Amino acid sequence: MQTQNNMLWVEKYRPKKIDDLTGNDEAKALFLEWLKNKRHTKKAVLLYGSPGVGKTTLVLAASQELEFSVIEMNASDTRSEKTINAVAKPATSYKALDNYTKNKTSGNVLFLDEVDGIAGNEDRGGVNAILKVIEESLVPIILAANDPDIEKLRPLKKVCLLVRFQQVRIPLIIALLQKICMLEHVSAEFEALERIAQNSKGDVRSAINDLQSLSEENHRLTLQDTMMLTSRNKDITLDDMLKRYFSAQNIAETSTMLAFSNIDYDDFLLSVSDNLPKRYSNPSELAKAYDYVSRADLFRGRVGTENWHLLKYFYNALTLASAINPLSYTPFTFISPPIRIITLFWTKGKRSTLDAICGKIGAQCHVSHKTAKHDFIPYIRVLLQKNSKSPLVGWFKFTPEEVDFLLKMGRF
Amino acid sequence: MTSNEEALMWVEKYRPQTLTEVVGLKDIVESLQAFMRTPKTMPHLMFAGVPGTGKTTLALAIAHTLYGANWKSFTLELNASDERGIDTVRDRIKDFSRYSRTGFGETIPFALIILDECDQMTGPAQTALRRIMEIGSRTSRFILICNQSSKIIEPIQSRCAIFRFSRVEKQAMKQHLIYIAEKEGHTLIPEAADRIVDFAEGDLRHAINVLQTASAYKEGIIDEKTVSLVIGEASPSQVQKMIRKALYGDFMDARKIMYDIMGNFGFSGTEIIRQAQREIFKMSDLTAEQKAELSNITGEYDYRLTQGANSDIQLSALLAQFAKFGKGIEESYADPK
Repeated sequence: MQTQNNMLWVEKYRPKKIDDLTGNDEAKALFLEWLKNKRHTKKAVLLYGSPGVGKTTLVLAASQELEFSVIEMNASDTRSEKTINAVAKPATSYKALDNYTKNKTSGNVLFLDEVDGIAGNEDRGGVNAILKVIEESLVPIILAANDPDIEKLRPLKKVCLLVRFQQVRIPLIIALLQKICMLEHVSAEFEALERIAQNSKGDVRSAINDLQSLSEENHRLTLQDTMMLTSRNKDITLDDMLKRYFSAQNIAETSTMLAFSNIDYDDFLLSVSDNLPKRYSNPSELAKAYDYVSRADLFRGRVGTENWHLLKYFYNALTLASAINPLSYTPFTFISPPIRIITLFWTKGKRSTLDAICGKIGAQCHVSHKTAKHDFIPYIRVLLQKNSKSPLVGWFKFTPEEVDFLLKMGRF
Repeated sequence: MTSNEEALMWVEKYRPQTLTEVVGLKDIVESLQAFMRTPKTMPHLMFAGVPGTGKTTLALAIAHTLYGANWKSFTLELNASDERGIDTVRDRIKDFSRYSRTGFGETIPFALIILDECDQMTGPAQTALRRIMEIGSRTSRFILICNQSSKIIEPIQSRCAIFRFSRVEKQAMKQHLIYIAEKEGHTLIPEAADRIVDFAEGDLRHAINVLQTASAYKEGIIDEKTVSLVIGEASPSQVQKMIRKALYGDFMDARKIMYDIMGNFGFSGTEIIRQAQREIFKMSDLTAEQKAELSNITGEYDYRLTQGANSDIQLSALLAQFAKFGKGIEESYADPK
């Protein structure tokens, strides 16, 4: 019993039979129909849909019910051309003998989970290797992916039967959670389960995980217990965070949110700064809010890489900026990604050109880059605009790109 | 006057090659000439003063005087503003100072190390330098150049003969500009020369750059109008535009200009904020009190900039303060008490 208690509920309650799988009836039917009767139409099937909707579970349940053995490769294995050939080739190049004695489906099935996770470099040639395996295979091949639209999977989509998994409907998840609560002797408020289900956004796995983490200890679950859920959920986006941050009604709300979030706080700080003027249109409010954001940034600077205890002041300052005037909040669309990243990303090339120019001026005129930038470039720019073929170009050894840069620079 | 004929920037072309040709600076030149007569007695030197007053020029002139045409083989010229870390001191300076250059034998038994803008050096780098100056003094002499001697640690200062450079005197500068213009085949109208001298605020390098740029506008005569045009074209205007946008309540535009200055012109947050400090006092539509108040606000964020992690956030916060301040001015006009 001890081992049972230590198990993750997602594993413990993973359906053993196809019928027990929650939701996605159409996908199930399509998949089974292919597996049983239509394997001659396409050699492989691609199951796709957001995480936790039952793709892997369906394959495992089907394998038990239809008695075939699954050879699985997922993202934790390297999937370069070499390894795929090493594992998949032998698995797909013979049929089991009992294929003829038992029913039609039994034998080997190759299951490549998380194919969208095939990495560019480490898994070089992976997709092509899979294509080749599919072409030559004697056994059914099942692929699963979250996002089928990425470029590198396009060739795979052509040779596969596509089976789409929807997000599981909320009532179905609630029913499943209720069932688990009963089996685990958890007394849960209905509203709490509802909240967990809604928060999961159709991801059964995360719903079960949340249920387990919130209720395992004392076998009770109230709505109060679920309050911190959203912010702890990994899938919460920066946009969601910003929305909650800017619409916060009081400091306490922001404070809890920031405390339980696991978002990158440097990104968050930049995004708050970017969007602050959209939140506060009143100059006094904006100035006050920015003052707090500025203080937050100060603490961020002081935290550096060692004084982590200062981080609480960072959060505190950031919290204060969110609640200057809760009443003035009206929804707005966020600026993202961070302005700085856009601006400075595009100009990185320009800046290295500028550095090169300053270096050349410095070498000829015995000045630092800084002096070159301030005291020479404004004049050299005008001199070149007056005469772009000036002998100065040769004297400084400017490249055509650098001349072009100076001509287009505009007035500082 | 000897001149560097190959150089095309006039600041280089007319950079004096010997001590005697230097504009102004009579007292300093005399002391230095005494050292040149018996180079063995020359101590480490420190030149301190505002930009464009001849510090680098004198240092290079000393190198010329000591080593003649071959000066580059016996001189290490480093700009501490570009290479300010302790690694530079430990690697390049130490290596150079350790080996004596014997080419000049008994009379000049040392090599020259010119360290420009050394007030930009980090504290640890200065400390490292101090030891090297001591150990290496048999084989090398240092000329340290800086804007503010107070930023150099005491032990280094005490090892140097310090010379302070003041702004180039107006009349001397004017004459020099007219001389250069003449050499280049242009006539510089006296009023135009005055205009350049006023603008340059004692910085000869700046003045010569303005002169050269103005000469590109029109053949022959350089008049006041052309000079004004050059000054307008070459002086920073974006920062003032940014401040104005903020004061008039257009925060988003102001911030956009700020990112533009950072991205396109490669200016750091500190450079922008220091420029803003200067621009505030140039704005004729503000009262003295308003300027002082704005400067005060700017000072706070200048400080925060040095402590914080993201300069763009600090600048944005400053612009928000400006916007609030601008709103205040507007309201005081609308509702005079």
